[in-house]
Amino acid sequence: MSFRAEYETSSDRYKRDLYHSTYVETQLKYIGKKFRRVEDRDIVRGRMGYADDIDFPGQHYAAILHSPYAHALIKSIDYTEALNLAGVKYVLTGEEVARLTKPITARAAPTSPKTQYVMAYRKVRYMGEPVVAVVAENKYVARDALDLINVEYERRPVVRDLDDALRPGAPLIYEELGTNVVIHDKFEFGDVEEAFQRADKTVKRRIGIHRYSSTPLETYVVNANYDKLRDLLEVVATDQQPGRTVQSVANLLGLPMSKIRLIVPPMGGGFGYKLAVWQYIAIISLLSMLTGRPVKWIQTRSESLYGPHRPKGYMDVELALSSSGKVTGMRLTDWEMDGNWPYVAGLYSLIKFANMSGPYEIPSYSFEYYSIATNYPPVVQDRGVGKPFMTFALERIMDVAAKSVGMDPAEFRLRNMVPPEKMPYVTPSGEIYESGNFPATLKKALEVAEYWKWKEAKKGRRIGVGISCGIEPGTSNLGYYYLTKPGTPDFTGAGEMSTVELTPDGYLRVNMNGPEIGTGHVTTLKQVSCEIFDLDPERVIVSKVFDSTEGHLGYSGTYSNAFNDVYIGAALAALRQLREKVLRLASHLLGTEPSDLEMRNGNVCEKGSSRCVELSEVARLAYNRLTFLPAGESPGLRIIASYSNTTAKPFNRSNFNVQLTHSNSAHVAVVEVDPQLGSVKILRYVIVHDAGRVINPGIVEGLAIGSTASGIGGALYEEFVFDEDMNNLSLTFGDYLKPTAMEIPDIEVVQMETPAPNTPFGTKAVGEGGAITSLAAVANAVEDALTDYGVEVTSLPLTPERIWKMTRGA
Amino acid sequence: MKVSIKINGTVLERDVEPRLLLVHFIRDVAGLKGTHVGCETGHCGACTVLLNGKPVKSCQLFAVQANGSEVETVEGLERDGKLSLEQEAFIDNFAMQCGYCTPGMLMITHYLLRRYPRLTREEIREKIHGNYCMCTGYVQIVNAIEDAFKRRGT
Repeated sequence: MSFRAEYETSSDRYKRDLYHSTYVETQLKYIGKKFRRVEDRDIVRGRMGYADDIDFPGQHYAAILHSPYAHALIKSIDYTEALNLAGVKYVLTGEEVARLTKPITARAAPTSPKTQYVMAYRKVRYMGEPVVAVVAENKYVARDALDLINVEYERRPVVRDLDDALRPGAPLIYEELGTNVVIHDKFEFGDVEEAFQRADKTVKRRIGIHRYSSTPLETYVVNANYDKLRDLLEVVATDQQPGRTVQSVANLLGLPMSKIRLIVPPMGGGFGYKLAVWQYIAIISLLSMLTGRPVKWIQTRSESLYGPHRPKGYMDVELALSSSGKVTGMRLTDWEMDGNWPYVAGLYSLIKFANMSGPYEIPSYSFEYYSIATNYPPVVQDRGVGKPFMTFALERIMDVAAKSVGMDPAEFRLRNMVPPEKMPYVTPSGEIYESGNFPATLKKALEVAEYWKWKEAKKGRRIGVGISCGIEPGTSNLGYYYLTKPGTPDFTGAGEMSTVELTPDGYLRVNMNGPEIGTGHVTTLKQVSCEIFDLDPERVIVSKVFDSTEGHLGYSGTYSNAFNDVYIGAALAALRQLREKVLRLASHLLGTEPSDLEMRNGNVCEKGSSRCVELSEVARLAYNRLTFLPAGESPGLRIIASYSNTTAKPFNRSNFNVQLTHSNSAHVAVVEVDPQLGSVKILRYVIVHDAGRVINPGIVEGLAIGSTASGIGGALYEEFVFDEDMNNLSLTFGDYLKPTAMEIPDIEVVQMETPAPNTPFGTKAVGEGGAITSLAAVANAVEDALTDYGVEVTSLPLTPERIWKMTRGA
Repeated sequence: MKVSIKINGTVLERDVEPRLLLVHFIRDVAGLKGTHVGCETGHCGACTVLLNGKPVKSCQLFAVQANGSEVETVEGLERDGKLSLEQEAFIDNFAMQCGYCTPGMLMITHYLLRRYPRLTREEIREKIHGNYCMCTGYVQIVNAIEDAFKRRGT
């Protein structure tokens, strides 16, 4: 039977089996519903309260002078005139910063550079590095002062690209390392050499990725207020990882962590870009401590486009193939062009272990990686980190391999996918794919997108169809920073705390443990809370503001797709404990065993009876009528509980899991290319994705579409362009092209639900999947459309200029 | 310089620096924080307000240029505690994530509803291309605007 016929006869069976999970049938009132977002009533009235909407009394402002060169020595800084400008209060330079703080260290490098501070000290390594900071009475004057500062630089030769960085006698980014290779390591799992020796065929390509970024619409905002009277540093900032920031800033400034309170209001987008704001929190906090005034810094758009970004990179991908079309081995060599900011060096490479073999069963693979220091700006963990590049490279080589064995790319993929009966599947390096039905996801996508019909429609038009199948990992086991360097990992992203209380007036209050970046955390926590307490949403108050003093674990924040698992898990742990205590107190009031009680719309009631006590009555007992409490019961109804996903393995080099849940998706893109204009029009875009149990389908659908749109931008338009002196030429949205409503098509989403066995509700990650999977879907479609030109896509973005050149053999 | 600007029906008379941007007048002088700054170069549309009924990017104007004019911001959409139909349509269609672009999107929608009897999806996409959204991928925003036209009727 041909592949196509087999596919068509089986499609009904897939329809029947694979769409649902068991929970859909159970009776839930709030979870799984398209519950309207609570945040939105504030947003549409202009009352969200972002960081820049908040002022301290006597608010002052900072402005930062950045390096105009990518590599130079700072010979002198003259700021006398700036300091004399009316309204200017303070000028801070790297010299003072180096006296008052510590250098930045590397998290993953065996030997850390130790000459880079939160502000440039005697040397600048990228265009846009902060060199001088000014405090003034208002934001206009602060910026005026920058024009009055004279910095004398001595320019150094720049490091542009891979060959440039590695050649003998190359200029060094960190002289103390003696090389621009910050990290180099090699891993091998299974017998890769044998797989290649026995292969019937091998394919190899060098795939590249460019510099691009998610560019949240709200830039960094930091407002620091050091209060001498309370000896407390209070900071309001746009920070996605406040748990880590408090530790880093306390360490840099030499303060006890308890003297820092970090408030994170809802952010105007995060996407990982806001994981790097702690550098500026340190600078602005220092300015507040030095001036005794509250200091606010609002990053300009140009400043935000200086960096950080995703790194440029190269990967050599080689597959060993059998004549029957099975992938038997894979060799990868990955060069991460890290720019300079040692803190995150190597991260984009290391995290690739989370989806290295994609949805495929590849018995053996090796991975060699290099983190290269260059004069590119710093790197940050942008949406999906290294996983979009991993999937781009893998899904490109899968098309190349399919062609080499004469198979349809869909058929080739299905032949190599992990079959559902092998779940949970452990990859050669130890990543555990805990759930999913990969072939069903792809088959559904082919059906919805009318893959075969489009394949035929091609004739006579330059229409191309591209498939990409991606794994979207969630919840980070951050110990992978220690894969190459010695030591015991002292951090993990797999745990968090939560605080919930039944207030004295009978409201259920839940703190925000994962800062709100637009991913609907307030709503999601509210749905979970209402479900556990069977309480009217009006009676549940979920804070939209993160407060570092409210009880958190070490690395709390909104990152690595962990909210659905860890942050909901922590809230659930606290809600359950609180519920038990409420039931015990109600049992005391009603004279009924707790096991015979249930929550019923704001009351605790005897099962099957109308005997009830209101929650506010239980609260009165707990807070006010202490002498009436049952023996041994402590007063109050506030619970702090924590949760940790226990499937995180301790790290060793031969068996480790980088992330703990694995959503999967199949994208099918249909494009039409005009080689005369070099333009690409997306005619159809279908996503079938499986994020496990879904708490709010409206939110999940939006994240699937939005993350895909960000990948489409990266695939077709967005690129930070540098000249030969490593000047960033993309410093406005006129130069750095974001897709608008005219470029993004009506993306169609089909949700499948295979629950994860290792998360509290069976949820899996959503939010990065589109960014991970879409690059290859678009690239594969464009290449397919240009078949008769014989072009091969090995790098992005596919701008009109690039396509025009490709179709002309340039 | 003395300026007199009517914002959402209330006249504000203030002495301002000539270089003060209209968006900063709205945010810092009038205290209306719903209008956001996204790029300062007129590309992103986060600061979109209506000036004498027409959409403008308020980071591209000085406050003095709005002297004697009428400005409408997102805070003016709600009437007597009741959300406007475009506000309702955005909520019902999950048309926002972080919400930073939403006030600008609502103001352009408010203008489109006044100006056009109906618009196709493609026309809506063209009309809002000066308003960036980094989160949603626009699909649910276009759904919401389409829905707002439906709710208003023709």
